[in-house]
Amino acid sequence: MIVVCLLLILFTTGLVAQATLTVKGVVSDANEPLVGVSVIEKGTLNGTSTDIDGQFSLTVKEDALLEISFIGFTTQLIRVDANRARYDITLVEDDVWLNEVVVVGYGVQQKKLVTGATIQVKGDDIEKLNTTSVLGALQSQTPGVYITQSSGQVGENYKINIRGLGTASSNEPLYVIDGVPGGSINALNPSDIESIDILKDAASAAIYGARAANGVLLVTTKQGKAGKTQVSYDGYFGVQNALTNGVRPANAKEYMSLINEALMTQDPTGGLLYNWEEELPADLLTAINNGSWNGTNWLKESTVKDAPIASHSVNLTGGSDYSRFAMGFSYLKQTGTIGYPATPEYNRYTARINSQHSLWKKDGRDIITFGENVVYSNYDKKGVQIGTMYSNNIRNLLKMTPLLPAYNEEGDYYIYKDMQENDWSFDQALNNPLAQLDYTRSRRNSISRRLQSNAYLEIAPMENLTFRSSVGYHFSQNSSRSYVPEYILSAKTANPTDDVSQAQSWSSRWTLENTLNYTFSLSDHNFNSLIGQSVEKWGYGESLDAKNSYSLFPGSFDHAYIDNTQGLDTTNSEMGGSPNSDGSLASFFGRVNYNYQERYLASIVMRADGSSNFSRGNRWGYFPSLSAGWVVTSEEWMRWSDSWLSFFKLRGSWGQNGNCNIDNFQYLATIAFNTNAYYYDDKATPATGGYPDLLANKEVTWETSEQLDFGFDARFLKSRLGVNFDWYKKTTKDWLVVAPTLLLYGAGAPYINGGDVQNKGVELALTWNDKIGTDLTYGMSLNMAHNANKVLRLANREGIIHGPEQVIAENTTESFRVEVGYPMGYFWGYKTLGVFQNQSQIDQWMADGNVVRQDVAKPGDLIFQDTNDDGEINADDKTMIGNPHPDFTGSFNFNLAYKGFDLSVTAYGAFGMQILKSYRSYSDTPNDNYTNKDVTKYWDGEGSTNKYPAFAYGKNINFIDISDIYLEDADYVKLSNITVGYDFTKGFKSLPFSKLRLYLTAQNLFTITGYSGMDPEIGFSADTNWASGIDSGYYPSSRTLLVGLNLTF
Amino acid sequence: MRKTITQIAAAGLLLFAFAGCESFLDTESFTKKNTSNFPTSQDEAEQMITGIYVTMNDLIKDPEAHPFMIYDIASDDRFGGGSTSNKGSQSMDRMLNSKISWLESLWETRYAGIYRANNALETLDNIEVWSDEKIKSRLLAETHFLRAFFYLDLIQIFGEVPLKLTTIPENLPKNSAEEVYAQIGYDLEQAISHFPADPFPQYGNGHASKWSAEALMARVFLFYTGFYNKSALPVAGGGEVSKQEVIAYLEDCITHSGHALVSDQRNIWPYTNIHTGKDYQYVIDNGLVWEGDNCKETLFAMKFANSGVNGYFNRIVEYYGLRKSGASCFPFVPQGYSNGPVNRTLWNDWDNDPDYAGDYRRAGSICDGAVEIPDYAGDNGKEVEKTRLWAKKYLGAGAYEGSNLIQTFGYFYGGENNRQGGLNNDLILIRLADVYLMHSELTETNTYLNKVRQRANLGPVAYSLDAIKKERRYELCFEGLRWNDLRRWGDVQEIVNNQEGVAITNRGVPAQFTFGSFDYMERYNATGGGFWKIPDSQVTLSEGVLEQNPGWDDAYTFNSLPYYSN
Repeated sequence: MIVVCLLLILFTTGLVAQATLTVKGVVSDANEPLVGVSVIEKGTLNGTSTDIDGQFSLTVKEDALLEISFIGFTTQLIRVDANRARYDITLVEDDVWLNEVVVVGYGVQQKKLVTGATIQVKGDDIEKLNTTSVLGALQSQTPGVYITQSSGQVGENYKINIRGLGTASSNEPLYVIDGVPGGSINALNPSDIESIDILKDAASAAIYGARAANGVLLVTTKQGKAGKTQVSYDGYFGVQNALTNGVRPANAKEYMSLINEALMTQDPTGGLLYNWEEELPADLLTAINNGSWNGTNWLKESTVKDAPIASHSVNLTGGSDYSRFAMGFSYLKQTGTIGYPATPEYNRYTARINSQHSLWKKDGRDIITFGENVVYSNYDKKGVQIGTMYSNNIRNLLKMTPLLPAYNEEGDYYIYKDMQENDWSFDQALNNPLAQLDYTRSRRNSISRRLQSNAYLEIAPMENLTFRSSVGYHFSQNSSRSYVPEYILSAKTANPTDDVSQAQSWSSRWTLENTLNYTFSLSDHNFNSLIGQSVEKWGYGESLDAKNSYSLFPGSFDHAYIDNTQGLDTTNSEMGGSPNSDGSLASFFGRVNYNYQERYLASIVMRADGSSNFSRGNRWGYFPSLSAGWVVTSEEWMRWSDSWLSFFKLRGSWGQNGNCNIDNFQYLATIAFNTNAYYYDDKATPATGGYPDLLANKEVTWETSEQLDFGFDARFLKSRLGVNFDWYKKTTKDWLVVAPTLLLYGAGAPYINGGDVQNKGVELALTWNDKIGTDLTYGMSLNMAHNANKVLRLANREGIIHGPEQVIAENTTESFRVEVGYPMGYFWGYKTLGVFQNQSQIDQWMADGNVVRQDVAKPGDLIFQDTNDDGEINADDKTMIGNPHPDFTGSFNFNLAYKGFDLSVTAYGAFGMQILKSYRSYSDTPNDNYTNKDVTKYWDGEGSTNKYPAFAYGKNINFIDISDIYLEDADYVKLSNITVGYDFTKGFKSLPFSKLRLYLTAQNLFTITGYSGMDPEIGFSADTNWASGIDSGYYPSSRTLLVGLNLTF
Repeated sequence: MRKTITQIAAAGLLLFAFAGCESFLDTESFTKKNTSNFPTSQDEAEQMITGIYVTMNDLIKDPEAHPFMIYDIASDDRFGGGSTSNKGSQSMDRMLNSKISWLESLWETRYAGIYRANNALETLDNIEVWSDEKIKSRLLAETHFLRAFFYLDLIQIFGEVPLKLTTIPENLPKNSAEEVYAQIGYDLEQAISHFPADPFPQYGNGHASKWSAEALMARVFLFYTGFYNKSALPVAGGGEVSKQEVIAYLEDCITHSGHALVSDQRNIWPYTNIHTGKDYQYVIDNGLVWEGDNCKETLFAMKFANSGVNGYFNRIVEYYGLRKSGASCFPFVPQGYSNGPVNRTLWNDWDNDPDYAGDYRRAGSICDGAVEIPDYAGDNGKEVEKTRLWAKKYLGAGAYEGSNLIQTFGYFYGGENNRQGGLNNDLILIRLADVYLMHSELTETNTYLNKVRQRANLGPVAYSLDAIKKERRYELCFEGLRWNDLRRWGDVQEIVNNQEGVAITNRGVPAQFTFGSFDYMERYNATGGGFWKIPDSQVTLSEGVLEQNPGWDDAYTFNSLPYYSN
């Protein structure tokens, strides 16, 4: 440093020509003078450094700005004043946090200068949690970003929304990976991540205006560093076990008594009771009665104990001043915890290579730089069905009667022929869930391959002017195969011919971006300006699939290819091929970041986007934003608080973002063909039909999200305590919805710009980091967020988007919807006031002029509320009975390190939401099983419960209408991670490694919840984009125990 | 000056950039055409007309909203049946509402068909080149026929409905019954005049024809004049169709259509097919052989396919199917939901009527469980309103392949061996016997009445309306005609007379049929004469433009069968 300064002085002494003056002074820190502090006339090469007494002297221009900098201290800028004799300067110790830079889209910015609401999560913090997916690690680190597992099955994705649901279409944020929008975060291994920056408010996200309405996640993969080539290995092995929250299906004896009890409610004379001798094979009944057989616990039969998980990743970085590189390779293998004999499996391979090369360097400055990032991933998976109640293997395991044996005497699945042979007459339409899993799900695999890459060229002709051009290319390919054998499962379910299926698809997209960045200062006014342009095109590619029967290798998945099937016919052969729906986006954008002495901050962004999803004339959207900040602690008059307040910044922002995420061609009345045919006189040969399937909406255009944000960032007590606070109001306008139109119109409804929804909330992040003595460091953080969601407008006539019927049980009516004045997807049904305990209560109830929903109410019946007081209880009385959105979400992290030992604990939770749950259908399959947590809760005589009605068999008004008895509070806290590690290089200095850390991790050690289902963290959305909190049988998360190793050479 | 030039240049550059972007942002659909480029050829015109027929497939997915099922179950011949959760058919039987927005799929698919027909009428002229003008004429005729057919369902089920004759999305109020019937009259006149006069089987396979249009005209005429007490059918745009014209249409149909009665009426029904028949004693004993789908007596039928895809198999048959499956109920193997048990009154009336002594159609139309499948127990835990009499005409039939019991005989004709997907036989909507009987009724002569009787090996009778009523009840039972016959004759009271108190079993418990706490005739009259509830969603969405039918407040929502007190 000193050498550089001396050189600078040599260079500059001869150059001084105009009016000058000599400045002198002493530089010190809080205690003593500092030696070697660099004092430079800003914008020139003129400078000096302080001597052993901290003194300096420098001849500068009259209006010069002095830059005083020293490693470990905050740089200060001081304007020279001709009347000032001495400059005694006190440098303040650097706050690492303040000098950190964050990624803001098309550039980086110092954290202290940021005026929007952003969060940065470091790669280390993601990696150390050892989650299989990146989003899984973010779950506990990001206030205001609500991430839920979409299922506990291996290889499944996460549902994410930033600051609440803002639309009925997709709420996924925009992922920008190494500068290329539209990538997939699931293709990355957690060890690939350098950092993730989440742009939450509109002003920050506005630079990506077009698709930023749901927020933006900027992912930076690990970049090379100059120096010795560093090699690191991270690997772990572990076992996973399903966390079912104590849920167990009822056993045979419990089940029979429940069914009897239900039938007794139906007919107190007992006339309907099963004669079990007639229904069940004699040996089964004997075994149940004498206790030698408890019936089949299907969930247990299908559970895999200690399902293995293993992960290996290797990272290399290195390079010189001219070239740098980073590489990473990873492999993950994970087995599911439920689903035997079709045990889910997930394998993922990733490879990542990036490098940066200086093509022309002058005076130590890169003038032309070239670089590229390439990420390739390959993952294959198979698993069980976890969709709606009709295609949900988990539900089948929970609801199948325990009376049915899983296997026959030969050890084969107990299926239709066994029922017939053994006089099983209870119900011959029952499908053995294990056999069903085996037949339909065990012989299949799907593979995805994904390439995400970009290359860029940077030209910096002047120090403060950079032109950057970047080309991005993404390619993905999917293929899947399956074999389903011929089977007869039950009287109702059979597959008369085997099925061989094959499907292939690929798609790609490219982007081209050009940006020009110019940084300049006019005295104390500092500007960083950017203009740019980008074009994107996607939807290249096609898909092809085929299905046929009569495999030449019956039963073999390895041979399940279409070529190995016999002949084609109209009954069994299916094929399809289609192009991807293409689209494009063209954008122009500009941004100016301004600060005055790093004290007053402002930023202005403007972006124009044109989308191919809209017709000419409606396709351009303009998305402006403004933000400002005030670093109060930079004010001279705030010096008094320096001892306890290191930094305090107030900020506010306003901006608009867009969303164009709808099906293509909504502006045309399209003609549908492919699946529409009529068979006039030949049952094998269809005649193609064509008809307009959509009412055109030529006017459809951008959805806009407008957001106001106020917040502050503060660091207290020498930066040990950090506080970040935000208040926001996000209004999504001209919401793109498919609003139901009159069926009289005769064709499908298009998307319209049909509604507004508002999210309001606050976020608070607290961090504490400190040292005790020299060896013990520890830190903790607490994140809290509150959000309230409300629909403000819906343009259809009813002001309602109806939810589907029959979601948690057969024959149930609509139970959640979107409606003006309520949160999106709120639960809609009857309210109940308790259970009639005895006849005199019913008599009194009727005598008081009340009504009941039952024809004749009996003790044990629900008391439905006449919410509109019109003297009858009907659909008009259905009302809001619950909210699927949490009021509060929070997370907590604690970490500690002592002489090579480290410990960290992570927990997260959500509070204030409800779940609509049913694992059985009450009306059409009354013989469905119950779970242990359900069996005891029903009314069983006076005083037993005032919430749940008496058991009922089949269609019963207490059960077929969705009421609040199906709802439960689902508050939960999950202890998501505890890790203990030890780095041997700290204790054994002679080891030839720079790191050798062994660790033990427990994930999902326990969940604290009052919820009676298997897992309160439910990301299932019932075929909509907006529903949540629906549990019709959910694949629960697992508890994982890992042992791992980090090794760095 | 220089500044100005710079500004202009910059603006120009920007404009150029944006203009270039516009074409960059234009996309084209490679899988869908749109109304600006469809139809442009004769082939596309055929596709457009097929697209109208397809709406029938969309409706068959929901049999509980299908007129064919409603017309049977709402009549006196069949009960609701099913299990306690089959609210659809049980409420059909009682003029009650089974659920919110019930019949929405009927409303949706019929108006979708009408929309597509309107679109066809608006765009057929866009095609400049035809290989033969007769094809254009035939397509035009099919379009008019289908629009009339769809409106007839709407007006018979819902009463007054909005008349939508363009593709413009408009929120329309109801039109009067007269206006709707006048439109149907107009469309059928157009169809009759535009169809080719080619006889069956030269023309017809699966398509509507001149002959089906003429027959439908008679059906419309009889219902309109009978139910609304009129003497002629109005025609939109002026004029009317007189009784004499209708008779002339029927005579044209009888004389020129090429259609004829099959020799034994039972050979129309699929259970007589050879694959089932070789093991079905009744078929063997009577020497029956199925005439196959598209037989010469069928004027118009809904067609199905081998694909097994929902919408392409006959779900009406599925719903009427026996509750349990197996060899004990052979040949009626494909398992269904036991909807529409046959009313024992029909079975007994038929037996007791001396005019019908020895009528083979009785056992040919109705399966008497005690005789034909004595070992079949059914599902006494579920079945309600069970009579152990099943309507054979549309009961699924299985067949043996060796000792292997195949679920549906359709398997032998290329269909699936599947209780649903294999049900691919025609749903006959108009057949010649109906035409004969309509002719007798309109002309008040016995010629064609006796031809129908003669085919059933019954002797001639003199013409009387009563004779026609009986003949239609027996010849055309379970063919979706009885309900509207009763309505147009003003004989709805027969439903109560024939059903109330009839012996049934509910989940194995003997009981007597009852309508419940409502007086059926009061319900019928309160609904304006048997018109159903317009789907709530449509009334709500119309914001008061579409008025709900009378007699349909919430009190008439079906909750549960009267035999159970929950």
